[in-house]
Amino acid sequence: MASLRRSQHSLTGVYALDALDTPVEVARFERHMARCQGCTSEVRGFQETATRLGMAASRQPPPTLRAAVMDEVVRTRQLPVPDDRARHRRLAPRLTLLPRLATAGAALGVAAAIALGVVLVNTQNELGQARRQLALTQTQLAAVNAVRTAADATLVTKATPIGGTVTVVSSAARRQIVVTTRGLPPQRAGKVYQLWLIGTSGNRIRSEGLLGLHNGRAGPVLITGVLPGDIFGITLEPPGGSVQPTVRPFVAIPA
Amino acid sequence: MRASEPEVPSPEGRDQHLDGLLARVARGDQAAFEAVYDILAGLVYGFILRVVRDPAQSEEVSQEVLLEVWRTAARFDPVKGSAATWAMTIAHRRAVDRVRSAAAAAAREQRTAEVPVPHDVVADVVEASLDAERVRRCLDRLTEPQRESITLAYYGGYSYRQVGERLGIALSTIKTRIRDGLIRMRDCLGVS
Repeated sequence: MASLRRSQHSLTGVYALDALDTPVEVARFERHMARCQGCTSEVRGFQETATRLGMAASRQPPPTLRAAVMDEVVRTRQLPVPDDRARHRRLAPRLTLLPRLATAGAALGVAAAIALGVVLVNTQNELGQARRQLALTQTQLAAVNAVRTAADATLVTKATPIGGTVTVVSSAARRQIVVTTRGLPPQRAGKVYQLWLIGTSGNRIRSEGLLGLHNGRAGPVLITGVLPGDIFGITLEPPGGSVQPTVRPFVAIPA
Repeated sequence: MRASEPEVPSPEGRDQHLDGLLARVARGDQAAFEAVYDILAGLVYGFILRVVRDPAQSEEVSQEVLLEVWRTAARFDPVKGSAATWAMTIAHRRAVDRVRSAAAAAAREQRTAEVPVPHDVVADVVEASLDAERVRRCLDRLTEPQRESITLAYYGGYSYRQVGERLGIALSTIKTRIRDGLIRMRDCLGVS
C-alpha cells in the first residue's frame, strides 16, 4: 500500500503534463491527490511550469482565426456564473462532509439529505424542489440512503470537460454506488447520456442505463453489483443507447 | 514600457490582468473577450502548432480552445491556478486529443521522422519574447534524458507509456525523469 502511494505520488509530473494514458489512470491519481496536500501543490507548480513551456512557442495566429472565433462567440451560449456561496462550498474538503451530513439528514429529511450529500451545493429553496423532483420509491430511497450512510462510504465529485459535475458515493462493502449529476449540458439532438461500469481489465463493460436530466440535474441513481476496481463512466450515445460505449467516457470515477 | 520593447508583459502582470478580464467574460462581456483573445490567441495558436504541426488543423483546434475559454469562463477559479495555465491546460488537452486520434498519428509519424522532436525545442519560435528566452535557458539546464522525456510528453503529445516505448525505457524511470526535470524547470523559472 505504501509503495502504491509512493508510485502514485511520483506521477505528479506526468499528470501535470496531461500524459497519463487513460481516464482510469487519471481518476486513480486524482483520488490520491484529493488526500495528498503535497501532491496538489506540486501539481500546481508543475502546471504553471508547463504553461511557461507552452507559451515559449507563441506565434502570430493567422488573421482568419480572429474572425472565426468572434463569429462563433456571438452564437455560443456560456455556462452560468456560480454564486459565491456555491464556490465557497465547492472548495470545502469533501470527505469530511459525510459525517456532518449524517446529522443534517435527521433534521432535513432523507430526500433532502441525499440531495445535499451527493449534490454538495444547495440552498434551502432548492431543497424543496429537489424533494419534489426525487420521484423515488421508498425502497429505492432506503437503498440510496444505505449507501450514503455506509461506514465505508467515500464521496468523489468531479467536474466534466463538457460542463457540470458528477458525484459518486460508493460503498465497497455493499458493492453499490450512488450517482448524481449537476449542471450537465442538455443532451444535443440525437444524443443521450449513458452510464457504464467498466472493469479494470477493460473487457467487461456493463451498461447501467440512460440518464434523465431535470434542469441539468439527475439522480440519485443507484448502481448495484459493483466489483472491486470497477470504474464508473458516462458517455454520449445515439438515441436508445448503445450495447458498448462508442466513444471514450467524458468522465470516469473509480466506483 | 517603451514602444521598442517586446509587448509581452511579465507573467505576473498578465495573469492579474487576465483574471479580471475573465470575470467579465464570464458575464458575457464580448469586449473583454476580445482583450482576452489578444493576450491568448498567439500563445494558444503557437503552442498548438508546436504539438499538432499542421497549420490548418492547428487553426481549427485553436478556435475550439478559444471558444471553450468563452463558454466556460465561469469555471475559471483563480484559487486553483493562473488564468494562463487554465487556458493552456485546455489547449494542451485539445491538442493531445487531436494528435492521439489514430488517423492523425499516422500522418504525424512521417513528419516526426523529418523533424527531430527532442532537440532544439524552441528553435522555431518566431516571437523571441523574454519569457521564451528564459524557458530556453532553463531547458538547457536539464539533463538530456529529462529534456527528451518532457518535450516528448508535452510538445509531442505522447502519453508517458508511449514516451517509454519510444525511448525503450521503463515506465518508472520515465515518471521520475519527468518529475525531476519539472522540479528543476520550476525552480529555474522561479515558479512559486
